[in-house]
Amino acid sequence: MAGSQLKRLKASLREQGVIGPQQSKKQKRRNVQDGNATNKTRQQKAASLQKIKEEFNPFDLKHNVRGPKFQVTTNRPPTGNAARGIDGRPSEAKALSEERRRQAFLVELNRNKVGGILDRRFGENDPTMDPQEKMLQRFVHEKRSHKKNSLFDLEDEPSEGLTHMGKSLFDSSEMMDDFNEKDLSAGSDEGSDDEGRPLKRAHPMNPEDQEEDQPERKKSRQEVMSELIAKSKFYKAQRQQAKEEDDDLREELDQELSELRGLLFNNSKGAKDDKVDGITSEPALSGKDKMERDYDLRLRQLAQDRRGQAAERTKTDEEKAQENVQKLKELEERRLRRMRGEKMDDSEEESQDEQDQPEENIAGGKFIFEEAGDNDTFGLGSGIRTRPTATELGFDDEDDFIVEDNLVFSGSELDIESEASEDDSDDDMDKDEDENEEDDDDEFTRGLLNEDEAKDPKFTNSNSKDILEGTSYSCPQTLQEFVELTKDMAIEEVPSVIQKIRILHHPKLASSNKTKLANFSGVLPQYIHRSSLSQKPVFSALEGIIRHTHSLAKTFPVEIANAFRSLIDDMGRSRPLSLNLGDLVALTAIGTIFPASDNYHQVLTPAMIVVARYLGHKIPQNIADFCRGAYLSTLALQWQCLAKRYIPELINFSLLTLVSLSPIPIDAKALGYFPVHELGSEIRISDAAATKLRKLTPLDCVKDRIPSEEVSQVQIATIAITVQILDTAAELLSSKISFIETFQPASKVLAQLGRKTCKTKLPAALNERLGKLQTKLETMLQVARLSRRPLELHHHRPLAIKQSFPKFEETYDPNRHYDPDRERAELAKLKAEHKKERKGAMRDLRKDARFMAREKLRMKKEKDAAYEKKYKRLVAEIQGEEGKEANAYEREKQMRKRAAKR
Amino acid sequence: MPSAIKDESLKRKRTKITEKANKRAKAERSDSSGSDSDEDPQADILLLENEILESKKNYNNITVLLDIARNQDEDEPSLFATVSLCRVFLRLLASGNLSRRAGQSEKDIVVVQWLKGRLGDYKHILLHALRRESSSSTALTLAMRILKAETQSAGDKSEYNFPKVFLKDIVEVLIRYDVEDVRQEFCEKFLGEYADIRYYTFKALKDILSENSSSPRQGDLFENAFDLLAFFEDVPESTEDMGEFYVDAPKKKSHPVTSFNQQKKQAQEAWLAVLSLDPNRDQRKRVLDIMTKSIAPWFTKPELLMDFLTDSYNAGGATSLLALSGVFYLIQERNLDYPSFYRKLYSLLDADILHSKHRSRFLRLLDTFLASTHLPAVLVASFIKRISRLCLNAPPAAIVAVVPWIYNLFKKHPLCTFMIHRVPRSPEEKATVESEGMEDPFIAEEEDPMETHAIDSCLWEVVQLQSHYHPNVATIAKIISEQFTKQAYNLEDFLDHSYSSLLDAELSKQVKKPPVVEFMIPKRIFLPQDSASGGEESLLTKLWDFE
Repeated sequence: MAGSQLKRLKASLREQGVIGPQQSKKQKRRNVQDGNATNKTRQQKAASLQKIKEEFNPFDLKHNVRGPKFQVTTNRPPTGNAARGIDGRPSEAKALSEERRRQAFLVELNRNKVGGILDRRFGENDPTMDPQEKMLQRFVHEKRSHKKNSLFDLEDEPSEGLTHMGKSLFDSSEMMDDFNEKDLSAGSDEGSDDEGRPLKRAHPMNPEDQEEDQPERKKSRQEVMSELIAKSKFYKAQRQQAKEEDDDLREELDQELSELRGLLFNNSKGAKDDKVDGITSEPALSGKDKMERDYDLRLRQLAQDRRGQAAERTKTDEEKAQENVQKLKELEERRLRRMRGEKMDDSEEESQDEQDQPEENIAGGKFIFEEAGDNDTFGLGSGIRTRPTATELGFDDEDDFIVEDNLVFSGSELDIESEASEDDSDDDMDKDEDENEEDDDDEFTRGLLNEDEAKDPKFTNSNSKDILEGTSYSCPQTLQEFVELTKDMAIEEVPSVIQKIRILHHPKLASSNKTKLANFSGVLPQYIHRSSLSQKPVFSALEGIIRHTHSLAKTFPVEIANAFRSLIDDMGRSRPLSLNLGDLVALTAIGTIFPASDNYHQVLTPAMIVVARYLGHKIPQNIADFCRGAYLSTLALQWQCLAKRYIPELINFSLLTLVSLSPIPIDAKALGYFPVHELGSEIRISDAAATKLRKLTPLDCVKDRIPSEEVSQVQIATIAITVQILDTAAELLSSKISFIETFQPASKVLAQLGRKTCKTKLPAALNERLGKLQTKLETMLQVARLSRRPLELHHHRPLAIKQSFPKFEETYDPNRHYDPDRERAELAKLKAEHKKERKGAMRDLRKDARFMAREKLRMKKEKDAAYEKKYKRLVAEIQGEEGKEANAYEREKQMRKRAAKR
Repeated sequence: MPSAIKDESLKRKRTKITEKANKRAKAERSDSSGSDSDEDPQADILLLENEILESKKNYNNITVLLDIARNQDEDEPSLFATVSLCRVFLRLLASGNLSRRAGQSEKDIVVVQWLKGRLGDYKHILLHALRRESSSSTALTLAMRILKAETQSAGDKSEYNFPKVFLKDIVEVLIRYDVEDVRQEFCEKFLGEYADIRYYTFKALKDILSENSSSPRQGDLFENAFDLLAFFEDVPESTEDMGEFYVDAPKKKSHPVTSFNQQKKQAQEAWLAVLSLDPNRDQRKRVLDIMTKSIAPWFTKPELLMDFLTDSYNAGGATSLLALSGVFYLIQERNLDYPSFYRKLYSLLDADILHSKHRSRFLRLLDTFLASTHLPAVLVASFIKRISRLCLNAPPAAIVAVVPWIYNLFKKHPLCTFMIHRVPRSPEEKATVESEGMEDPFIAEEEDPMETHAIDSCLWEVVQLQSHYHPNVATIAKIISEQFTKQAYNLEDFLDHSYSSLLDAELSKQVKKPPVVEFMIPKRIFLPQDSASGGEESLLTKLWDFE
């Protein structure tokens, strides 16, 4: 499109053949010969010229003045108008907007702005209707409009039969379309009729009605209604027909099914095939019921088929043993990971499990303490006072630790057993599950058998009927009930009672048994606590109960854990520093039932805090306090056997025990940094050289008053046990990096106890132990000194300095804004948009105003012109008349003159 | 009589009052009509009172009433007499019968003198009553009323005249005797409310305490005086806060009672007098406990506290712990130069500090003291090493607070980070470490934090705490060995924990996921293993006897 306007004109003229090279005479002649044609060509020429004229209006298209832009800034090729260098079509746009305005405003402008009310009630202005009819008509209308509104109105609706996705199944869609089309066309016809009218006033009217020139509404309603009814009846009939056809087809298919089935089963079971044929060969005889039953039977067989085929071969004993070993190994691996507090890997977990694991279990059970980590950086809780947390104060950068928190606290995935119990919740008796449960039971009864061996054969599951003879225990749901149940029997019998209850209320026997048994297992921890409070607890029986609880815990871990946690809560609240024997036994039970080596455990961690609190806070007043401390130390130490964690309180308490009980006062301040309490000298061992060394019993922990002859025995025993605890602790912690600092004070205290003045007051056996431990500690300390290395904790990869190079955009677009600040960018965008809209709106308003002014002016001009015309016409008329009269007068005058002349 | 009209009005008032009194007496009589024995003495007392008020001639009844009041074996009549005497004296004081005026006859003067003497007797009785528990509250009210009346009637209105002596007597009774309730009442009703009472009480306290500095029952005296003074938890901050005046404020603007500074000065002196009583350890602790909040603000010259504070600081143990904040207050506000402050502070880090209940308070202060980046790294290292050594024997709540604090110090004093990362420099050094191990160069017994060689040592203790039994504590201990990406920890998040709060935090979490259960059910828990089964004995069964 280069070149000037003139050049372009010439080119297009030449193109159209308006101008061209000079024609020869011959050609001209030929052209003249068919004169008709010349005429036609002239017409053509005129048309093409007109076209060119239009095309060449320089203002129709908007071009860039300086030619097209070079495409350096964008890699997107221009399309459409932009490709042809056209920026816009002003005249077209103008015409369009003008047209729109004309439609929008002119109507308004011309409208007769006089208000009024149009009564459009039925028949209100219709004299031909009597009131009865009017009311009827209104009622019908009301009904109709109501029906349209309610989607789920079942009344009066022609029955549609089955639907799918809101559409009728049996409706043939063409018909519906037909109807719609017709309807639509009628509507559009109407629409064309009263297009000029506002929509409000447009009524659906039938042309016939208008033709007939009758009261239109009444007729139309009736017509419409009858039409509707007719149509719906028609459709219904059609649907019925289609349904019947379908039914026929299905019947046919059913008839053929026997053959079809024969085909299906042909390969696998020939023998069965015959039988099937036999059954299905008499379909006429067998009724519909039988058919269905057979079908169900088949279906079930089909479903079980795969399972029946996949029979596993029986494993040999070696294989079983190997499997067991494998399982144990796996469990140990998991335990180790839990101990290190590592996150369990889901995929691995899944591959390890033989069972299908419900998806929710993985998702739901992963991090329980995720929520807790929100405010609470290290999961320490909110501290003593309620203060605004760091997050509230705006120090929000603790987030890094939430992740770590999870790392630490995500305990572990579900145990196999617990999964099984989870699965139980849905009641279908899956085979896998059954096996699992049996496994569980077997496992426990196996344990029982080992324990009771031949002496009590009725423990086995097979003989369970024997024990159940004559007895029927209900499943106790509360502690009260259980106590009531067992109050008449000796505590030794309680484990077997529990066993019976467990057998009688096995989850497989009734669906409600599961919740019952769950409640019962929640009772057991309380019972353990309660029954060990008695004067003389029978530990063998307690052991049985604990082991039962343990076994139940595999099925009901949450209930039992909650029961223990509430016990711990109670201890922490009501008697943190005066734990009773029940608490001690409960803590022992916790330690055996739950894996103590876990880095974090929902039950053991609080239990450990309770123990540490006693050891740390208790200021022992009498020898029983020391005994209790020793018991708790033993427990704590036993819990840390595998994980080898450090318990400061344990060392403190042990040293405190030694210092406080030592026959002669020891100045502890010089020995180490463990806290010492000033106790009365009556607690010290007075002279016990002749006392026999014995083991402590748990009852020593709770005796208020120990007979004076026994006091020294207990004291000596306490010292002995403390020495053993220290010994074990030293062995456990021997690999710890700060072993020297930890056990130096212990060694010093032992050295003090080994002095002559002390030695004479202690029995020889104890002295020997003390001496042994001291030399052992000395050697261990020496070893630790040799193996000590300076700390090198920070061999981290150096942190990269944060860079802020300008970012290179691969696909840079100058039209876009690359603001790194998101908010600012959004704001800028919004501002730009607002500006644009504002400008557009203003321009529109101005254009509107201009249009209105123009139109008004035009109308005024029209009016004026009309007036002028009329005026002129009138004047002309009058003048004409006058002239005529003047002429007549003139003529008359002339005539008179002539007459006078004559 | 120069003012007859006034007299008349007074008389009218008096008669009205008598009527009222009669009415009251009647009411009482009707109340206690059953007991005739009660009726008589009360009626008598009322009669006597009325007679006194009716005419000057019956003034001798005062002595009768005084006798009844003094006879404290019978509780009720004596109390009744005290009350009625109070009424009598109030009226007498109001009518000016107790003050000498110009132009009075000699006889009148004698009467005035005599009345004054009786008033003195009455005061004496009141002070006695104050000591007894049954009557003390009433006696206090009566005494204070008399005090007010006395001031108002005191002759020349132009001169401000507060009955200091009487107040001093009251205060003396309050602090000398064990009358806790009435002391409390005095504090609440008068001392806390009225500026002038406060001023003169302080003054009286100071006088009494300085007079009797060598009395035998000093312990009680200190306790009571301390109670009185410690009543003010918040010190008024300006003249507006001082409160109203019990008796009319002095006309003169410059009177010391109205001056806020003078009052502070009096309080300061009272406190000084209290502190000079040589309190014992517990008392000292109590004083130190409220030192910065309630005592020091009274002092216009806080340096006067210096002796007391430095003495306490040097006392050692919890006392010096508490004195720390006071000393710090002085250092901060008054530029106190405490020689070898850090040495002393270092010595406070003993075995008990992390177990004490003032732990958080101490750690907060310690954080403030070591906040400066200009401290020598050697000194900071000593503190770090010492406190981490203490952590080996500390409860989890302390460890939780200490480790982030150490982290912050490392951030501030990067020189100290050698304590957690020390690579042997030369091959020889490496060889010796390999063969002989590393001897800890830290001298634990050294008292001077500049000489402990802690900076050459390593923080093995904190590393051991990374295997603490409490998982959260272990996690916190691990921040030392991770990259130091965080600028600083907010120490407040970690203070104020305890065993119970840790336990609560654990137990408040709901058990949602089934907890892991030990797979193996142990054959034996309490009883020893059967020799046949051959299982390994657990520690519990080895050490304890469950038979």
